[in-house]
Amino acid sequence: MSALLEIRELVTAYGKIEALKGVSLDVEQGSITCLLGPNGAGKTTLMMTIAGILRPRSGSIRFAGKEIAGRPPHAIVAGGAALVPENRLVFPNMTVLENLHAGAYQRRDDEIEPDMEKSFRRFPRLKERSNQNAGTLSGGEQQMLVVARALMSRPKLLLMDEPSLGLAPLVVEEIFRIIVQLHQDGVSIFLVEQNAHMALKVAQHFYLMEQGKVSFSGTPGALAEDEVIRRAYLGSAKA
Amino acid sequence: MIFDLIQNTFDGLAMGASYALLAVGFTLVFGVLRRVNLSYGPAIMFGCYSATWVSLSFHSNVFSLLGITVLGSVLAGTYVERLCFAPHRQGSAIAAMVASFALWMQFEEVVTLVMPKHLYDFPPMFDGESLAFGPLSLRVEALVMLACALSICYALHRMLFRSRFGLAVRAVIDAPVAAQLAGINVPRILLLVFLLASAIGGLAGWLIVSTHTQVTPMLGMWSTLKGLLAMMIGGLGSLPGAVIGGLALGVLEAHSQWFLGPQARDLIAYLLLFVLLAWRPRWMTTQSAS
Repeated sequence: MSALLEIRELVTAYGKIEALKGVSLDVEQGSITCLLGPNGAGKTTLMMTIAGILRPRSGSIRFAGKEIAGRPPHAIVAGGAALVPENRLVFPNMTVLENLHAGAYQRRDDEIEPDMEKSFRRFPRLKERSNQNAGTLSGGEQQMLVVARALMSRPKLLLMDEPSLGLAPLVVEEIFRIIVQLHQDGVSIFLVEQNAHMALKVAQHFYLMEQGKVSFSGTPGALAEDEVIRRAYLGSAKA
Repeated sequence: MIFDLIQNTFDGLAMGASYALLAVGFTLVFGVLRRVNLSYGPAIMFGCYSATWVSLSFHSNVFSLLGITVLGSVLAGTYVERLCFAPHRQGSAIAAMVASFALWMQFEEVVTLVMPKHLYDFPPMFDGESLAFGPLSLRVEALVMLACALSICYALHRMLFRSRFGLAVRAVIDAPVAAQLAGINVPRILLLVFLLASAIGGLAGWLIVSTHTQVTPMLGMWSTLKGLLAMMIGGLGSLPGAVIGGLALGVLEAHSQWFLGPQARDLIAYLLLFVLLAWRPRWMTTQSAS
């Protein structure tokens, strides 16, 4: 059986500079797959390309058996992949409730309200603040909101770009608890993280990315954790 | 004296209502796209000329002319959006603005080629007399214009805060990338907003030309300037601000014409804009379209 997300020889460039230089990787159905790597390795570029915000120059992205490379973002959401972007991109002048409704924008079914209740059970803090503008929430609450918003589209695959970045340790733990919970609920997760220690604890498979290429692929334990962390933060450049 | 002041204010509000409608369309495009569409007025002028052409060629009633004006403006607006704004969505705002200037010239050339006279008559909205209140008189057209401006502003506000389409529009204004990631077809929303603004512009154009009962190719530049001015006075990107800015501009013009003569009319309006830009009060720099 083929993987849920199959990326082959993906190249994305900003002008003449190639940020992705032929990336190939798989995310299996029902897994938490993690992508580690130093700043500037191209992790965010990869996520934005999968989500359709950036157009790849060449290569293929197959999601649930369909080619999605170069498709517009709304088509990719419709296909069942949702990105939780870096830097907590909420709609700051809209209420928490409106943010969640925007997440369900493409849906026409009548289960939106039950799903709304479900996200409030998952994120009780959001319920308390449901009529508050999202811009007034704390960083952690905004991160919860962006995750909840992405879930409102009922994705098969949740792409998460550095969800723990800049959050307090307790909030980071809560985010990872939610990731595990979502995984148990059957959502496949592709996670970009700087926090290698936490990521390796939850992932079944991980990739290391350096300078626009996948440099290592394995299961947690295949490489000593301090080696992974060293390469994830510093790259494999010889010290 | 006091009656003159009141009469001037009435006349100013009537004129201002048309400015307000123009500014609402301008604001809608600016608030959502963050782009200035110089071709906004000329597209309206194109709509008005389409209706003039129809009224000269066929027997037609007032409301079918309204429909044709709106349709013509929307078609012209679609042309502007496809050529100037859709290709420059990620690119420079200046490029889009300059491109819209080029289309302005196109619209003027096309209408003067097809209808070369400097001035054409346009069928009036009503044949009736003005309403008289003692020494004051009020044109029915003015009331219609005022009612249209206020009700359209109210309807837009409802739409923005109560409808699915409005939710998407506000999401695009707030965080365009996040809107795309939420599954909103952003280019489509931008096109629809543009068309909506063009339709409102068409309505404004019809109200104006059927009040003045004449059209000239200058209507394009005139609409762009008045709409832009009223939008800026009301605070960029605010719908209620656009209405207030339009009404304020109309009243200011009416009074300066009365006290200082017709030459002073535009001078005072631009002086006000200059003062506001130099002083920049807080309400002029608000950024939301709601």
